[in-house]
Amino acid sequence: MNKIISNFLYIGSGIGLTLKLTFGGVFIGVVGGILLSILRYNGIGRSLINAIVSVLRGTPLLLQLSFVYFIAPDVIGVRLDLLSAGILAFGINSSAYIAEIVRAGIESLPRGQFEAAQTLGIPRFYMWKDIILPQVITNIFPAMVNEVIALLKETVLIAMIGGLDIMRRSQTIAAEQYEYFQPLCMAGIYYYGLVRLIESIGEKIEQRRPYAKSL
Amino acid sequence: MLKVCNARKVFNNTKVLENVHLDVAKSSILGIAGPSGSGKSTLLRCIQKLEQIDHGTIECNGRAGFMFQDFQLFPHMTVLQNLIYAPSLKDKSGKENCKKQAENILKSLGIAAKTSEYPNTLSGGQKQRVALARSLMTHPDILLCDEPTSGLDVSTTMDVVSLLKSINERFDITILIASHDLDFLVKISDRIILLKDGAIAVDIDPQKQDTPIDFLKKYY
Repeated sequence: MNKIISNFLYIGSGIGLTLKLTFGGVFIGVVGGILLSILRYNGIGRSLINAIVSVLRGTPLLLQLSFVYFIAPDVIGVRLDLLSAGILAFGINSSAYIAEIVRAGIESLPRGQFEAAQTLGIPRFYMWKDIILPQVITNIFPAMVNEVIALLKETVLIAMIGGLDIMRRSQTIAAEQYEYFQPLCMAGIYYYGLVRLIESIGEKIEQRRPYAKSL
Repeated sequence: MLKVCNARKVFNNTKVLENVHLDVAKSSILGIAGPSGSGKSTLLRCIQKLEQIDHGTIECNGRAGFMFQDFQLFPHMTVLQNLIYAPSLKDKSGKENCKKQAENILKSLGIAAKTSEYPNTLSGGQKQRVALARSLMTHPDILLCDEPTSGLDVSTTMDVVSLLKSINERFDITILIASHDLDFLVKISDRIILLKDGAIAVDIDPQKQDTPIDFLKKYY
């Protein structure tokens, strides 16, 4: 029984790394994705942004992670630690997907919302900040929650460059104790619990917006 | 007040406006009639500069306000926020003033009780009034209304007639109304033009016609 508890706690101590990678990545992804979408919508660097998004979506995340961790030091001369490299790689990759989600959200808004802002003399910055983006974010919120969940599960790739996350720890125990069923089930319980937590936070946030039904 | 000279607008090789000349007097109400696709909305959108004309000139002496066919209220803002957001950006110190002014306008339009409601809880007629109030907050000299009675029942349409007339008189605002509803236009307008294939086919004073609706229908 003690062994089960100690295995469970050992695997659980990987939650910190998993969450840091997930939310760090999502933060960069959301900021980057929204910026890329707005720039592209306004025709600024559209071809370049399309190319970046295409490459990021068209190559494996593990490849991008390896580039950031192993090749970036030779190119930019800075060696990133494992956590920073992970957050950066997951964030950059996520920004490509979020850029597409935000693009769909912007295109789903009636053109009249932009025109109404224009006729009222609202400057472009405020139009995006206070009129367009709040509606876009409401529209795309379920898709964003999906993206957070997908990213959470993709963070297992950090193990490939030596990160001791939930998955890696369960594999370590399996290899040490020649017992796969128990540690893998424990990893599954942690991941499922985190996903359910993210889902319920998402549902709570959605319920708090009284105007959402009109969008 | 408003002068349109030889305006032309082409969308994908289709002429939407052709050789439109128009001179609108201050404080008048001009009705713009015409079948679907005749260029009514495009003319208003060109005056508001939501579209650029391909040829000709449009001179507007004063600020123009625009009321959209589907209102285009901001759904994530309350009625009051819809009204005060744009004016308070221009005058950050005067937010309280804007609020007071908005409350007065809402009161005069009979929807003071809806101040903290979101647009999705309002009826079509109430949304119409909020859209009108939002336009009035920008102190327009000329108000452009695109199909203001679309989707409204007969009694609400009559409310819109008296509402726009009272605004025209009280605030001395010139009003241009694009609508396919001839009965509504005849009741409200000092002058009606009928657009057909982008050009002005008829220009009448409905008060000087015995049967203006029948007269206009001949050109449909």
